[in-house]
Amino acid sequence: MVLFLLMFVTPLGYAAYLSLFQERLIGGTTFVGLDNYVTALKDPLLREGVLRVAAFFAIQVPLMLLLALLFALALDSGLLRLARVIRLGIFVPYAVPSVVATLMWGYLYGPDFGPFAQLGEKFDLPVPHFLSDGWMLSSLANVVTWEFVGYNMIILYAALRTVPQELYEAAAMDGAGAWRIAWSIKLPALRPALLLTLLFSVIGSFQLFNEPKLLQDIAPDVIDSSYTANLYAYSLAFTGQQVNYAAAVSFLLGLVIVIFSYVVLFTANRRRTS
Amino acid sequence: MHRASFTPSTSQMSRRLFLTAASAVSLGAALTACGGSGGGGGGGGSASSAKPVSQTDIDEAMKTPTELTFWTWVPDIEQEIALFEKKYPAIKVKVVNAGQGVDHYTKLRTAIKAGEGAPDVAQMEYQAIPTFTITDSLLDLSPYGASKLKDTFVDWTWGQVSGPEGEIWAIPQDTGPMGMLYRADIFDKHGIEPPKTWDDFAAAARKLHKADPDVYLTNLAANEAAAWHGLLWQAGAKPYATSGKGNVSINVNDEISKKLAAYWGGLAQEGVIGVEPDFTDAWFSALNKGKYATWITAAWGPVFLSGSAKSTAGKWRAAPLPQWDAAKPSSGNWGGSTSAVIKATKNPIAAAVFAQFLNSDPESAKLFSTKQSFFPATKPLLADPSFAGNASAFYGGQKVNQLFAEIGDTVSLDFQWPPFLDQAVTDWTETVGTSLARKKDTVAALDAWQTRLTTYAEKQGFTVQAP
Amino acid sequence: MTTTSPPAASSQAALNSTATGTPRPTHPRRRSVRRHSTPLTIVMLAVLAYFLLPLFWLAVASTKSTQDLFTSFGLWFSRSPQLLENIRETVTHDDGVFLHWLLNTVLYSVGSALGAALLAAAAGYGFAKYRFRGNNAAFSSVLGAIMIPPTALAIPTYLLFAKVDLVNTPWAIVLPSLVSPFGLYLMRIYAEDAVPDSILEAARIDGAGELRIFLTIALRLLAPGLVTVVLFTLVATWNNYFLPLIMLNDPRLYPVTVGLSSWASQAVGGGSGANSNMLALVTTGSLLSLIPLVIAFLLLQRNWQSGLATGGVKQ
Repeated sequence: MVLFLLMFVTPLGYAAYLSLFQERLIGGTTFVGLDNYVTALKDPLLREGVLRVAAFFAIQVPLMLLLALLFALALDSGLLRLARVIRLGIFVPYAVPSVVATLMWGYLYGPDFGPFAQLGEKFDLPVPHFLSDGWMLSSLANVVTWEFVGYNMIILYAALRTVPQELYEAAAMDGAGAWRIAWSIKLPALRPALLLTLLFSVIGSFQLFNEPKLLQDIAPDVIDSSYTANLYAYSLAFTGQQVNYAAAVSFLLGLVIVIFSYVVLFTANRRRTS
Repeated sequence: MHRASFTPSTSQMSRRLFLTAASAVSLGAALTACGGSGGGGGGGGSASSAKPVSQTDIDEAMKTPTELTFWTWVPDIEQEIALFEKKYPAIKVKVVNAGQGVDHYTKLRTAIKAGEGAPDVAQMEYQAIPTFTITDSLLDLSPYGASKLKDTFVDWTWGQVSGPEGEIWAIPQDTGPMGMLYRADIFDKHGIEPPKTWDDFAAAARKLHKADPDVYLTNLAANEAAAWHGLLWQAGAKPYATSGKGNVSINVNDEISKKLAAYWGGLAQEGVIGVEPDFTDAWFSALNKGKYATWITAAWGPVFLSGSAKSTAGKWRAAPLPQWDAAKPSSGNWGGSTSAVIKATKNPIAAAVFAQFLNSDPESAKLFSTKQSFFPATKPLLADPSFAGNASAFYGGQKVNQLFAEIGDTVSLDFQWPPFLDQAVTDWTETVGTSLARKKDTVAALDAWQTRLTTYAEKQGFTVQAP
Repeated sequence: MTTTSPPAASSQAALNSTATGTPRPTHPRRRSVRRHSTPLTIVMLAVLAYFLLPLFWLAVASTKSTQDLFTSFGLWFSRSPQLLENIRETVTHDDGVFLHWLLNTVLYSVGSALGAALLAAAAGYGFAKYRFRGNNAAFSSVLGAIMIPPTALAIPTYLLFAKVDLVNTPWAIVLPSLVSPFGLYLMRIYAEDAVPDSILEAARIDGAGELRIFLTIALRLLAPGLVTVVLFTLVATWNNYFLPLIMLNDPRLYPVTVGLSSWASQAVGGGSGANSNMLALVTTGSLLSLIPLVIAFLLLQRNWQSGLATGGVKQ
């Protein structure tokens, strides 16, 4: 456990220490106290980045969890042929590294030579420009959804499998239909699992990085270096050589995530008790 | 072009370099004040203050068993290194490909900062040199005999690697003077002459797109800050200047820049040129399918294109860039790189000798031009008939090398790069590049770029001088 | 999006048990054979098609030459498929460096997964079963720490590692991956329920040392949770891109994700030198890099699914 703390807390502590300094290309390092944090709070680029991922979270996460839930219910309903194949097929994207996933989708999105665009041209259908400013967030949401629906589905599915058989038998005896069973028995049983997936999604959304970073290559005019908060922290550290400021931004972002997670937990628990 | 060099691993790189005049190099003509020839900085001219290292010390070091680490992304560079190791059997060179471009510099910077794991010698593009000298990370090579090489290399390249006090920060390896490749078949079909001036070019762009809405005269990639800087260079702009350690002047929105921005921004807004990112799948497809009738590129472009647009072989020709003033032809540079020695090296002599040998030894330099298809940085090689006289079938038998060698003579000598290149590039993409891509006011974007860079420089402790 | 892939279902059990109090053991229900619904099946097959579409593209693209990649329709084969030739080129390019990458990836991810699971088990067990000062503070600081994005911390971590000479060694990848806060979280909750205090008491009375108790008794009881942690750390390390990108300089040490993206940047390096022939290698390499993990998931299907289900049983 000492090792655990050592490996984990030391870099964090060092980063926290760094965030109190400022190192310049000219003039060297000075202690600046909390100045970096003050600057970060006032930084419009950071605020934009956080708001953007918040919007992303608000749209993508409910959609992804809803899909995961529907798929899990469908699989659990026993009404499917080929259920095993479908389950694995939906789960497979989780095993695809995000580097590869983004590469594939980036190609499919291509405005001139992507297959969607080619098909659209052939049949004279309007195809949206997936990589444009208006569509980018949705396109990103699609990639992330594609990667993680299966994963969330499996969590929910595993939870469903543990609902005691007797409950269903009892419900069936009371004359409850499939929908009613889903609503009254399955959903309540899923609440903790849903909460868990939600929590992971908070962290995932707010730390959104790989996908926008990789799509930046093909849509540089849409995804700028502060598109998401995490991307901004990265650019500060690597492009701007402002390691200290970047560390401060990271900690602030962590704080936002902590707050959001507690809000999620808090609302969920209150609803449960009411 | 050296078509013979077209295996997958060698066709790729973009430039060439070589050198035939054998002994002229290492013996070196009198090297007097080797200085900055106007390049890297305000001072210029005076001989380096560093004390020369004696030949005895050099001989001694080159006989001592040593291992050098060399970070480079150049494929198959082992062949050139073998030549070095043959001449200096005591020195072994370990090649590490730590990534290309930004990845490479990021790692290099982090390793230097950590004081651990940095190489002895590193590949370095011209534009990156000031970014590493500002942190005092490069070794001045002038005490190690590098001053003698001044006359071997093309003048503007020497300006790029020289410091204000006569330091020599790196040895040029290859270059990318800019020119224009065009589709002769498309030009013929629409009765367009290769444009001599930018005015002609704009007229041709309108004419072509009107005649065939699926075709554009060219694509100015909205992500390619390097190409923009090359065009700035051609137009005679001086966007950056550094004097002393902490003084920088930033001038990215002066009159020349505004002229350039109005020109390209205007064409983009009219919709008669493309602005899509380059080197993407879509862009490669576009070149193969004839969506663009020209590619504004550099001397490494011809070989690159013949590898990536094979389906269009024979249809392309090369020409100089269109001019702002046809009476005074000029060009800029895009690409090319150097070998620099990292200051923290424990083997400065061996590393410095290696950097010099690799790029100036006639045999090694020639190998770069044949194996890696680099465009040379040395004068003797550029003049060598076996290089310049080569005719390429992809370009209908045109002597493309000779053309670009001539263009190279028109590259102006005193273009400088900022000491924070990555930031300048990112900010360009997010201001000027974005304005091009979205067909917004590119001239106004220059002001935004200027403001961002100024703010950044001040934050980093620089004294920013008014334009 | 998640760079750290959380271990899955058993922690939902964890949340549940903390929320509802007593665990309520049940058996996975056995399903009677029922009628199938064709419309639902069709809908789900359509869904399946969406999930497999990009993979299909990748498989098709892997059969193409660089030239065909640019000139033929994306979702169907070109006239001259050359999958075998692409594979041969991919594995032989640069002295077979690609195979090195695959091997490295396997080593790094298996090493970190096993290590992470063990460490998480030990730490989780410690947190759950021993009271010590600062217990809760330490635990919540670890939980809070996962909220901090790792990207900007890469440089501080690098600087620290450089001080102890670990940069550019496999340890620089494995050591940070060993620390899995999610695993710790999961194992703590898991240990609270799965390892009854009474057994520990009994063992202590028998004179067993604490280490021995952990190794012989606790670890076995924690096994189902361990499987889940192993699998999901495995995926996380396998997919890890950022850390190795920063930590490693020697291409021979790269895992496959970093290797592929270095090829991709060689393919599109632009002014600093580019080779479009690399694109075919990048696509084929991507396809090859997926295969081991997919196979692992298929082969271990029973294990990871039962791991999840066991986690669920604990509700």
